[in-house]
Amino acid sequence: MSVVLGYDESPGARHALTVALDVARHYATNVVLVYGTAPPNSEMGEEFRSHQEALEQLGRTAIGKAVEAADAAGIAAVVELVSANPVDALLEVADRHDATVIVVGTWGESPLRGAILGSTPHKLLHLSKRPVLCVPAPD
Amino acid sequence: MADTQQAQLKAGAIGFFDALVIGLAATSPAYTLAAIIGPVVALVGVFAPGILLASFVPMLLIASAFYYLNSVDQDCGTTFSWVTRAMGPWAGWFGGWAITMTGVLVIGSLAEVGVRYTLLTVGLDGPAENIWLIRILAVLLILVTTAICVIGTEVSAKLQNFLIVLQVVSLLIFAGVALYRVYARTSTLDAIDPSLSWLNPFGAGGAALTGGLLLGVFAFWGWESAVNLTEETTDSSQAPGKAAMLSTVVLVITYVAVAFAVVAYAGTNFLTENSEEEDVIFQFLATESMGGWDWIVLFSVATSAIASTQTTIIPASRTGLSMARRKALPAMFGRIHPRFRTPDVSTWWVAGIAIVWYLLLSIISENALFDSLTALALLIAFYYALTGIACAVYFRKRLLHSAKSFLLIGVGPVVGALLLIWLLIVSVRDMANPENSYTGQSWLGLGPPLVIGIGIILTGVVVMVVWYFRDRSFWEERPSTVDEDLAQKAEGQRS
Repeated sequence: MSVVLGYDESPGARHALTVALDVARHYATNVVLVYGTAPPNSEMGEEFRSHQEALEQLGRTAIGKAVEAADAAGIAAVVELVSANPVDALLEVADRHDATVIVVGTWGESPLRGAILGSTPHKLLHLSKRPVLCVPAPD
Repeated sequence: MADTQQAQLKAGAIGFFDALVIGLAATSPAYTLAAIIGPVVALVGVFAPGILLASFVPMLLIASAFYYLNSVDQDCGTTFSWVTRAMGPWAGWFGGWAITMTGVLVIGSLAEVGVRYTLLTVGLDGPAENIWLIRILAVLLILVTTAICVIGTEVSAKLQNFLIVLQVVSLLIFAGVALYRVYARTSTLDAIDPSLSWLNPFGAGGAALTGGLLLGVFAFWGWESAVNLTEETTDSSQAPGKAAMLSTVVLVITYVAVAFAVVAYAGTNFLTENSEEEDVIFQFLATESMGGWDWIVLFSVATSAIASTQTTIIPASRTGLSMARRKALPAMFGRIHPRFRTPDVSTWWVAGIAIVWYLLLSIISENALFDSLTALALLIAFYYALTGIACAVYFRKRLLHSAKSFLLIGVGPVVGALLLIWLLIVSVRDMANPENSYTGQSWLGLGPPLVIGIGIILTGVVVMVVWYFRDRSFWEERPSTVDEDLAQKAEGQRS
């Protein structure tokens, strides 16, 4: 039982973190912070590794801040950097930790835009077999 | 408490069919043929099939270098990473520059072919001749594709695979129909019977030979990706090798078949009379031989060119990212968009330079397509040769380990590199005399492709030296040789 949070530096992620910590406190469980490091656009190819390293670095920095926030709130945090796109990473980690709920931030994208661009919350809502909590970014 | 897991490349991500498709997709045969078959037959006439076949030889030898470098340097890197490691920062920086510039320079041509053939597919033949309309649409296409690359939208792999298979099938149908009509004597032009002597690459001789071979190098450009995928493929000991081999056979057969078909169907007289119109020869012949079904060929060229626009922007921007991360370029090129997770600055720069370059060249050159493809081929030959030499240098302590290593890691890549260097030198000598380029156009007393090539190299030198004096961290990297254990593993895999 865990609360799984997709965390990056996108707008809304910070707020989603606050909510995820609240939820974890209520359930008296830990938070799993997930960042998918697979570069978008192609599974392989030239300088793929550089792109992935850059994403890992970005993910570590982002998640580092989230871990501090979790520590400050007195909630145990587990970090998962997964070599997959964000949606697959969240689904995989949620299964591994038998997640109570998956938390992601949204930034008020129009439904059509989300469907075309393939936003993470949009895909997650359709693919996840576990409850998904979408946290809108504050105005 | 936080425990971190090291992210790893996914193993077993690709199967036999995907590996086959990747090999074909990276060369984009339909676009390539549409772009080069005209110039090649204009240069060498009936010997076009032989030229295409001969160009494959150095390609094959260099691909072996790519295979071994990739298997020991799990970098999924490019010439930039490998050459830096084998021969030090100066050569490496230059390889990175050449590979990025080839990507940047080809984008305009891809977009233009994509736009023109899309218009032809839907029957808008009139607008397809309006050069300014084409230019505006091509720039729009580059902008849209770049936005898609930055946002990181992924086109369904199944759709891509379908389009690639369609590409090859429609080219083979085109070749089949054209050759059938040659033998059935229903050709609408002055057809001639194919002859095996067309496979002789030396038939045309002289400047035409080297010009043709350079375009042939361009035709197989990208093919090495097929052998680069071993680590990620399922059933890694068998499938990728076979897939790479099969994609090669398919590619060579397609090129040679289409070259035969074009020359036989049109006949030498037609080709000589229309050698000035080389950029429309392919579309014209598709329409002549396929009649009402020509849209199949036109459509596959259009999709092939548009898809390649995207698959060319991504690696070029990634090389920029990689160079920035190793401090070989300013840090801003290493920026990753926090939400889209793509190197946005690097990607937009690639698109910006591509657009400026495309417009500039298409306005000042009498024969922009030929000039830019030939200049590109010079750069491709240069960085392939560099990679071939880097392979032998990087593995130098392993060469005498076994006869197989000696041939595949040492002799093969070096011979490939020497062939390409020979081609470079002879072409440069030929192009230094503008009378040898068949347009006869002269810039500063030299052939335009050579001016373009030299211009890019000089720009690279200036950028490199300026950056050297701004930030030397990259130049502190020292060349090394291959790690023994990794090398043994790599050599074992191929047996």
